[in-house]
This record gives sequence, C-alpha cells and structure tokens, in this order.
Amino acid sequence: MDAAIEQNRRAAVLSEKKNKVLGVCLEDARISKSYLAVAFVALLLGGLLGLLQGLNRAGVLELPAWLNYYQILTAHGLLLVVVLSAFFTIGYFYAGLSHTLGGLLPKVRKLAWIGFWTKMVGLVLVVVPVLMNEASVMYTFYPPMAAHPVFYFGLVFVVLGIWMLATGAFINVAHWRKNHKGQHLPILAFFATGVFVLLVGATAFVAVEVLFMIIPWSLGWVETINVMVARTLFWAFGHTAVNIWYLTAVSAWYVIVPKIIGGTRWNDYLTRVVVIALVIMNITGGFHHQIVDPGISLPIKFMHVFMSLAIGFPSLMTAYAMFRVFERTGRRKGGKGALGWFKKLPWGDVRFLSPFIAMAAFIPAGAGGIVQSTNQLDQVVHNTMWIVGHFHLTLGMSVVMTFFGISYWLVPYLSKRVLTPQMNKLGVIQTIIWTVGMVIMAISMHAAGLFGSPRRTSFTTYGDFAETLGWNPLMTAVGIGATLLLIAVILQVHAVFNMMFFAPKGEVEFPIAEVEKNETAAPYMTERWGIWVVVMMIVIAMAYVLPLTDMIVNAPPGSPPFKTW
Amino acid sequence: MTQFIYGLLLYIFLMIPPIAALFESMMITHMHMQMPMLVISGFLMSGFLLRRSHRFFEKWNHNGIPGITLFMMIMIYWTIPRTMDEALTMQTMEIWKFMSLPFLAGMPLRDSWKKLTKAGKNIIIFIFTVKYFGMGALYIWSEESLCNNYLVIDQLTLGWGFITTAICLVIYLVYAFTVNPSEYE
Ligand code: HEM
Ligand SMILES: [Cu+2]
Repeated sequence: MDAAIEQNRRAAVLSEKKNKVLGVCLEDARISKSYLAVAFVALLLGGLLGLLQGLNRAGVLELPAWLNYYQILTAHGLLLVVVLSAFFTIGYFYAGLSHTLGGLLPKVRKLAWIGFWTKMVGLVLVVVPVLMNEASVMYTFYPPMAAHPVFYFGLVFVVLGIWMLATGAFINVAHWRKNHKGQHLPILAFFATGVFVLLVGATAFVAVEVLFMIIPWSLGWVETINVMVARTLFWAFGHTAVNIWYLTAVSAWYVIVPKIIGGTRWNDYLTRVVVIALVIMNITGGFHHQIVDPGISLPIKFMHVFMSLAIGFPSLMTAYAMFRVFERTGRRKGGKGALGWFKKLPWGDVRFLSPFIAMAAFIPAGAGGIVQSTNQLDQVVHNTMWIVGHFHLTLGMSVVMTFFGISYWLVPYLSKRVLTPQMNKLGVIQTIIWTVGMVIMAISMHAAGLFGSPRRTSFTTYGDFAETLGWNPLMTAVGIGATLLLIAVILQVHAVFNMMFFAPKGEVEFPIAEVEKNETAAPYMTERWGIWVVVMMIVIAMAYVLPLTDMIVNAPPGSPPFKTW
Repeated sequence: MTQFIYGLLLYIFLMIPPIAALFESMMITHMHMQMPMLVISGFLMSGFLLRRSHRFFEKWNHNGIPGITLFMMIMIYWTIPRTMDEALTMQTMEIWKFMSLPFLAGMPLRDSWKKLTKAGKNIIIFIFTVKYFGMGALYIWSEESLCNNYLVIDQLTLGWGFITTAICLVIYLVYAFTVNPSEYE
C-alpha cells in the first residue's frame, strides 16, 4: 500500500518535472507564437522605415511627396515602441505563465485570442490614417496636432486588447494561487504580474486622454483641448510603457540569463522587492518628460527629479545583482583571480551574448537618463537628436537586444524545434552587427544633439547655414549605422521565422534558474499584490493631484485642432 | 538598528531648512508628504526604542487601543487648518510638529498596529476614509481661504488630494472585504 502511494507520488513528481523540461502546451504556444510573429514583422517594417529616416537625415535620400518623413517617423515610432515591444512582452510573458503555472486556463486562452484580434483591429485602424497622411502626429500624438479620428479609435482598441490580456493573466495567477496556498508565485509569473499591473495602470491614463479629451475634440464635439493636461496624461502612459519594456528585459536578466550561464538566481527576496519597487514608483516618473514644459512649477519639477532618481535605485540594484551572479557562476566554473571568472562566461552563446551587451548598454543609457533628469542639463539636450540617441540605447539596445536573445530559445521552445549551431552563429553575427550599428548611430546622434541638431526634422541644410552644416558629418554616420542595423534586422527576422517553421524538430528547455541552495525564503508579504497596488495608487494620487489641479484650474483658453502637415 | 538609522536619516533630511521650506511651500506637500514622512521616520526609529522600553508599552498599551487613540488624536490635530498655519508662523509650533508626529504618532502606531485585530485595523482605515472625504469636501467647497499662509488654489489642491487618497482607501477596503486571504495563503 505504502509502496503504491510512494510510486504514485514519484510518478506525479516525474510528470511535473517532465512538464517543466519538455512540456509546451501546443495551444498556449500558438498564442505566444502569434504575438511573436507580429512583433518581428513590426521589427522588419519599422527597421525598414528607420533606414529610410537614417538615409534621409544623412542627406542621401529624398522622400517622395506621397510618403513624407513625418509619416514614416510616426509609423516607425508606433511600430517599434508600441507594436514590437507590446507584442513581444505579451508573447513572452504568456509563454512564461503557461510554463510556470502549468498551462493557461481555457478561458484565459480565449481572452488572449480576443485580445489579440482586438489589438490587430486597433492596429489597422491606426495604420490606415498614417498611410493616408491623415495622422502624421508622431507616436506621441500631442494635441493640438490632430489626426483623423479613426487613428484615435484604433488606439482605444489597442488599449482594450491590452486590458483583456491583463485580465487573463490575473485570472490565471489567482487560479494558481488558490491551488498552491501559501506558496510564492513562480518568479517569472511574479514579474508578469508586475508588468500587467503596470500595463493596466499606464493605459488607464492614455485611455482617459483619448476617450474623454481627444476623441470629442477631434470629432468637433468640443472646440478646444487642454494641451498640458493631455501631455501629462500621455507621459504617465508613455514613460511607464517604456519602463514596462525595460522590466520585461530585466525579468530575463534575473531569471533566464543565470540559467543560460549555468548558474543560480540572485537573491529571490530582493528580486521580488525590486519588482515591487519598480511597480509602485514607476508611473509618476512620467513628469521627467515634461521638465521643459511650461505650466508646471519649479518645486514640482524639483520633486520629480527625486521620483525619477528613485527609480534609478532598483536599477542600480539590478546591475549589482547581475555582476554578482556572473562572478559567482564564473568562479564556480574555476575562474581565478579578480577577473578570471569573466572568461568563463559562455561568450559564444547568442542567448547570453545578446542580453549581456544589452545590460552593458544600460550603463551609458542610464547615465544619459540621469543627465536628462537634471533640469539645467536637459535644457541643452531637450528635443535634440541627443534624446533620439538616448532611447536607441535604452530601447534599441538594452530592451530589444534582450528580446533578441530571448527569441533564440523561446521561438524554438514554442515551435518544438532546436537552435542549431549554425543558427547560433548567425545569431552571434547578427548581435555584433546590431551592436556596431547601434553604437555608431547612437553616439553620432548624441553628439549631433549636443551641437543642437533637432529631432523630428527631415533633412535640411538650413539655407547652407555654416553652423548647421557642421552637423552633417554626424548625420552621415547616423545613415551608416542605420544601414548596418537594417542588415541585422533582416538577419534577426530571418532567424525568428526560420526557427519558427523550418529548423530541425526537437525539444529545448525553457531556461529558468533556480535559487541558491539554503537561501531563506522571501516573506509572504511580497505576494500581497492587492496592497502593493493600493500603495501604487496612493503614490500616483500624491504625485498627480497638484500639477493636474493647477493645470485645470489655471488653464489657458485651450486649443482648437491643427493639421500642421 | 539599521531601521533606526534609516528613520533617523529621514528625520534629519526632513529637518534640513531648505527641504522643510520646500515641503511647506505647498499646502498639499506640507500635509500629505512632510507630515506622513515624519510619521514614517518615527515609525522606523521606534523599533529600536520600543525594545528598550518594552515594559512601559506592555503596561500601558497591551491591546493597542491607547496607542492608536493617541496616534489618531495627533493625526487629526495636524489636519486642522489653524495648526498648519501656526506651524508656519510660530517656531515653537514647528518644533511641536517635528516632535509630535514622529514620537507621538509614528511610535505608538508601530507599537499598536500589530496588536490590533483585523477588524480594528479596518475600523481605523475606515475612520480615515470618512475623515478624508470630509476634509476633501471642506477644502474643495470652502469659498474662502482657511489658512492665512496658503492660497485658495492650494486649498483646492489639498482637497482633491484628500479625495483621491480616500478613493484609494475605499479600494483597499473593498479589497479587504471581498478577497478572502485564506483562499490563497
Ligand atoms: C533598424 C534600426 C533602427 C533605425 C535605423 C532607427 C533610426 C531612427 C531614426 C533615424 C529616427 C528619427 C530621428 C528623428 O528625426 O527625430 C528614429 C526615431 C525613433 N526610433 Fe528608431 N531606429 C531603429 C530602431 C528602433 C527601435 C528598435 C526602436 C524601439 C524599440 C526605435 C524607436 C524609435 C522611436 C520611439 C523614435 C522616435 C519617433 C519620434 O520622434 O516620434 N527605433 N529612429
Ligand atoms: Cu521616462
């Protein structure tokens, strides 16, 4: 009798283990694959447009009248910073939820599909007016520039889709917790919870902006709009969105990369604290995008410098944690001396190399961010090419290169195929080309910005004005970087679709690192998401009440819509 | 001990004259940032102090109710417009603010909160919710300026600060009453 029970238990453990190593639920995989496919198509299109922009600004390509620079720039921003990032994040975390929580629930799967198609409909509604040159408002769509109303309806659908996916994630997490009383949520699902909480919080702001301010105004139901309020609501969303993509990359740094190098995770408790801190303090950071905006008093801006730098703290903890993990693993593999461990890391493995360069890029990127949070320094670089250089480091390297690194195991895992040595080599080459291209492009953008070259401006010699002609060599370098980048984009997209449909069949693991042996468990407090969400809302309330009341009560007359293009 | 040091550092930080002046220059940051942070600094510092005077608190605050009552009295006292005004104009009142919030609110809060029952905690939060809606309504609808030192717009902002905080507390209470933790923990 006892023996039979024991055998049953063993069988259960074994099947659970097998599930962990091999089991990808095919139906769940289809969801993630669809999201990833859209993400990488967006990369291809966005990258192509990026090249056109780069070549234009280098002065070698004049764009035709039916496809002007600002149309392209709007599409590039939307495709890369909204579509690529959001679809990748969702595909990756849904795969993570399915893997760590033992599969998605049928109703969650249904929600994920409805959400997918809602977002696709939204996307079409957004893209069509852009293509028709009816919505060249950039991805920030600041009023008083007004696009065709359909553009905004599209945005509403995109947000609705995101809410469905977030709901699905919450349902699955709650279900798991009911069946695993008192246990800590698996770490990747924990990150996913934080990310979806932030996605709902961030999109709530943009939903208010679009539904209650912009749509009535673009339809002509109201005459004017409060520009400052709209910008403030936008940046509560825009800033958080970007930080969500970053948090997604960070999740891979904490959870996946240690496993790939054959090590263990950094302290579980502190990892969870980092996630909670980033969730609570994130949204209010939006104000650092408005340092130069009028209508916000200096003391408020000053306080928000603290808020922005406070987000820097968990980021610094991340840097520390990563190097700690690398060193520990390298030493266990026999690395000696102060830096011997460094050589023991698997440099030839694209699944490590790409996220590693992504992390390294965050050092200059973070430093640039601190510069921009500083009022006086930001006066110099605001709205110049410097800013464009900055977010191509943060997004174009730190975030996107981590996503690329993930794709080299996630796509084969989902498709039940393998990463062949040739594909790994292609990945390494792709990583190097992307790195070189992005470094050239970002450095010259930073430099051009310091000399005053404005962002969001198609090529012009300013009537051959001597001062501004000096920017041109730097802009030529931008064009060279852009060309290299497009090569890397093509390689990457090729790799993803090859791994999805053509690579040899096989099983690869979903790499999730374990915690150190005999590490003390995190206190249960970290699991009380309800409380963290309320704390987050109180922080947001405190940060926004003052400037918003001021902007609304002391508002200027407001602006009618303009079509500036 | 580390908590004590963090609390002390926060306390000193809040005392630095330009920092204090910055917080006090706006009504809402005065009431909704400086004051809570003073309470938090006291909360952090008192873990260490409470352990030293364990006997005293055991005797006077064994069920947490005296302590939480003191906490509430101090908190309500400092939401009266006149007390804020006096803190700005009279040095002694400013000192009283910096003493009372950490040591007569933060410290008893720390000693009492964990002694309260779940219902007791929710009652306290409920009282704050009602009070915040009430204060919010007062500050938003009051036609004239309630404080000598602040403008009507400052007052309006603070009113909305009360309302939004109260809404957050309502959300918390709804969460506390609808989600049964024993299903998950
Ligand atoms: C093929 C690689 C890429 C190239 C060649 C490229 C190039 C450029 C160029 C030249 C600009 C225009 C600067 C201006 O006139 O203001 C730009 C803007 C931008 N890029 Fe990229 N980029 C690339 C990849 C990315 C990626 C991966 C992301 C984000 C995930 C991204 C996000 C953006 C955003 C948000 C803007 C700003 C759009 C705006 O100002 O409205 N780019 N890019
Ligand atoms: Cu930001």
